[in-house]
Amino acid sequence: MRRPVALFLAALLLAGSLFAFQRGYGNIRRLFPENDDDTPPPGSQEKTEFYFARLRYPNVRATGIWAMRGSWTVDYPKADRQFLQGLIRLTRIQANPMERVVDLISDDIFDYPFVYVVEPGHWDLPDAQAKKLREFIDRGGFLMTDDFHGTFEWELFTASLNKAFADRPIVDIEDEDPIFHVLYDLNDRVQVPGIVNYPFQKTYEYDGIEPKWRAWRDAKGRIAIAICFNMDQGDAWEWADNPNYPEKYASQAYRTAINYILYAMTH
Amino acid sequence: MFEFLFNYPLAVYRKGTLVFSSGWPAALLLLGLAALAAAVFWLFLRRGGLPARRRLALGALEWSVLALLLLLLWQPALSVTVLKPQQNVVAVAFDTSQSMALEERYRQARSLFEDRLAKDLQKRFPIRIYQAGEVPARIEQLPAEPSAQRTDLGAALRQIASESSMMPVGAVVLLTDGADNGGNLGPDTIQALRRARIPVHAIGFGSERIASDIEILDADLPARALPSSRLMLTATLRQSGFRGKTAKLSVRDGDRVLAQKEVRLPADGETWRETLALNAGAAGVKTLDIGVQPLDGETNTRNNRVERLVDVRDRKPRILYFEGEPRWEMKFIRRAVEEDAQLDLASIVRTTENRFYRQGIRSPQELERGFPSTVEELFAFQALIIGNVEAGYFTPVQQNLICEFAGRRGGGVLFLGGRSALSDGGWQRSPVAEILPVTLADRKGAFRREPATVELTRAGAESLLLRLEEDPEKNAARWKALPYLADYHMTGEPKPGATVLAEAIPGVRLRHPLLVTQNYGRGRVALLATGGTWRWQMAQDARDQSHETFWQQLLRWLAGGVEERVTLMTTRQTYSGEEPAVLRAEVRDQNYLPAPGAVVSVHLLGPGGVSDTIELQPARGEPGVYEAQWRAPRPGPYLAEATAREGTEELGRDTVTFRREDGTREFFRTEQNRELLERLAAQTGGRYYRPDNAQDLVKEIELSEAGITVRETRPVWNAPAAFLLLAGLKTAEWLVRRRWGAI
Repeated sequence: MRRPVALFLAALLLAGSLFAFQRGYGNIRRLFPENDDDTPPPGSQEKTEFYFARLRYPNVRATGIWAMRGSWTVDYPKADRQFLQGLIRLTRIQANPMERVVDLISDDIFDYPFVYVVEPGHWDLPDAQAKKLREFIDRGGFLMTDDFHGTFEWELFTASLNKAFADRPIVDIEDEDPIFHVLYDLNDRVQVPGIVNYPFQKTYEYDGIEPKWRAWRDAKGRIAIAICFNMDQGDAWEWADNPNYPEKYASQAYRTAINYILYAMTH
Repeated sequence: MFEFLFNYPLAVYRKGTLVFSSGWPAALLLLGLAALAAAVFWLFLRRGGLPARRRLALGALEWSVLALLLLLLWQPALSVTVLKPQQNVVAVAFDTSQSMALEERYRQARSLFEDRLAKDLQKRFPIRIYQAGEVPARIEQLPAEPSAQRTDLGAALRQIASESSMMPVGAVVLLTDGADNGGNLGPDTIQALRRARIPVHAIGFGSERIASDIEILDADLPARALPSSRLMLTATLRQSGFRGKTAKLSVRDGDRVLAQKEVRLPADGETWRETLALNAGAAGVKTLDIGVQPLDGETNTRNNRVERLVDVRDRKPRILYFEGEPRWEMKFIRRAVEEDAQLDLASIVRTTENRFYRQGIRSPQELERGFPSTVEELFAFQALIIGNVEAGYFTPVQQNLICEFAGRRGGGVLFLGGRSALSDGGWQRSPVAEILPVTLADRKGAFRREPATVELTRAGAESLLLRLEEDPEKNAARWKALPYLADYHMTGEPKPGATVLAEAIPGVRLRHPLLVTQNYGRGRVALLATGGTWRWQMAQDARDQSHETFWQQLLRWLAGGVEERVTLMTTRQTYSGEEPAVLRAEVRDQNYLPAPGAVVSVHLLGPGGVSDTIELQPARGEPGVYEAQWRAPRPGPYLAEATAREGTEELGRDTVTFRREDGTREFFRTEQNRELLERLAAQTGGRYYRPDNAQDLVKEIELSEAGITVRETRPVWNAPAAFLLLAGLKTAEWLVRRRWGAI
């Protein structure tokens, strides 16, 4: 008799937790309503110098709560387009107002020397795709990764990356590095949280307490893969127009990405 | 035969003037001829029996006979100026250079002179013999063998001309193969001979085309280069006797072969060029040996190789790249340059409306206000790249500085295509349009973000700038296989003097100049009408070096040859024997204007511990140019370093290398230079002779107008030709009359 009671209590606890989570997430969604409008913005047909390319990648097969996370489409397309508005307004880069989606299957990626990848903590790159990513980098491409947190996602991230990039270590970027000064001086950086952290008393997810600006450098020491770990620039771009998202995070996210793009175009 | 018929050689007729010894007036002769004509024709035309045309013909023959008799009565003669016997010297200039040893030319010349000419000449003239070798000199006896390491016909003739003021020189007899390499046979020498009215009679020895020989006529290599630069050797060759065969052309540095190729030999006597790309290698002064492997049966193998000095300098020219907005082209240009240890690239890019991002700067203050506005700041660079930026961004002062950078500084300027560049940036209306190698079309929208492939022009295929592969055919194929450009810019027509090296081809029957170069003032300017070569890097295997090689070569060309404030040079790379080296220095002040008040000293180092210091003197009429001559005491390579000072300030330094080579020139261009000898003789009133007709020479010399002369009248009325003509006319008349039945 004791065993059924224990099972019942456990089920009740789980249901309660899910209910509470869904209710909390529902509240966040009410404050940050999804907008999946995919209408191309004006000027997107124009041929330009710079395109914001988002990487489409295969997901890792996960179970439990991890199965609910991770996709190349996270924040897409609003984050990209909203960021591009800022890039066009704040710099002299002739950028296309609409993102492009690339993958590591076709060779189209080689026409887009800057590529952004979201949630790489859940990617699962086959060997051939990892190899192509390395070829992209070796030719001079630049990869910016964003929105993955904690030990578990880091392990998944490096598991795919190390298939082709294990010859050199991932390192923390020093404050003096040009990437933090190419346009904006970003010495005083803070952790940029996702909206899941609303109301932002806490800015980290899982055990990713400390934000890390890391990099994989090429043989010449140039940053080739800029790794934004334990932070969520994508949410900051996506919700920069939302008063519920703190301006200081959005501002830093814009500045960071602008610096990264300018760095990619000059190094 | 001529002399038998006409009493005298043809030269007497050429030089003499017609006179009548009878002393009767020439007008009376004309009157008599006219009267005879009237009488004869009146008589003949009156007669009947024959058609009028035949009567006219017989009348003409009859009149000719009578007219000739009348003419002879007037005693025609020739008045000529002749040398007074034994009172005029005949100078005999003998080529005693080593090339006369070929084909037994010297033996033949000596035999002709000693066995025949000398005897004939000495009957009428005293003879003085001169040698036309390295140093002209009068000699009493001919040397046994020709051993002079140089042929200086000009110097010998000048000496004879100058001695003519002290003694009567009637003529010069020059026995030579005409292979002059002394460099003194110019207008000055000809003028000196003409002033003294001394005819030069040249007797040419040797074949006008050597039977079996391959010769390197010239080898052109840059005298200075950056380490690891690709150099282009252009060898000019000539061959005879080996048509259709192959020979190996090579460049060596000591025992190391730097480059070589098989060349197919063209038609006999044809001069042709071969190019060979090679790597300059590490820094240092190098003596490169350029040679063609001798073929079996070659008569002269010493003209199969030449040496050239190349000063490979370990320096790092600086390039300033200004970009109006961030773009991929800049990133990849920077990356290509970073692979090249000999190039130093500083760049400025406008990241926002009021911010720059600087790279490659040497101090935090350098270029902090953007594009330089002063000579001091801009002229510190050797080359300049103007990227995607509108002309209006630059102040008028800066625009003029860009022009002066090429024209006065002698720097290299490269313009790139882009949406705000060239005509889309209004450059056609700026003063900078003057230095561009194309005439920009006055229109917007010339920049297209459309793919375009690249095709090399003929000049581009030959140029080192676009050499991705050593072999020209492989190079062309590699260019053909390159990925398309991301964009192109329609420019306008190339200017006269500009060279289009490559064209962009955006579609069928569409082509636009892509890479155009030209010299401007002291500098050079290039236009690359695209901002999309970065695709050559991103769209090809990471190991492919096309993009890097292209940019490194283009920028080395742009910045590598740029001269600094002091430039030392020699008129030639190789001097022969005692010939002095001519050193010239161009000195400029801080503004790169000629510095006429400088003190320029040159320190020279040579083989065997040779060390000397000389001061160059200002060149007349050339402000800022200083020059001096210096004799290298022994054969071998020499290094000269010039230091220019103005007061206590050092304006700059420069070095140059040259060689003294003894004797080698005598083995090049060894065939008889008949053209030179004929020209020399014609310009001085003499004649060219072959050895087999040189016996006419003595009679020709008699008629010289130089020296002590006398006027002679020589009758010609008694020449056999006159009587033969008379007899011939009468015989003709008799035959005609018989045929027409008029006897």
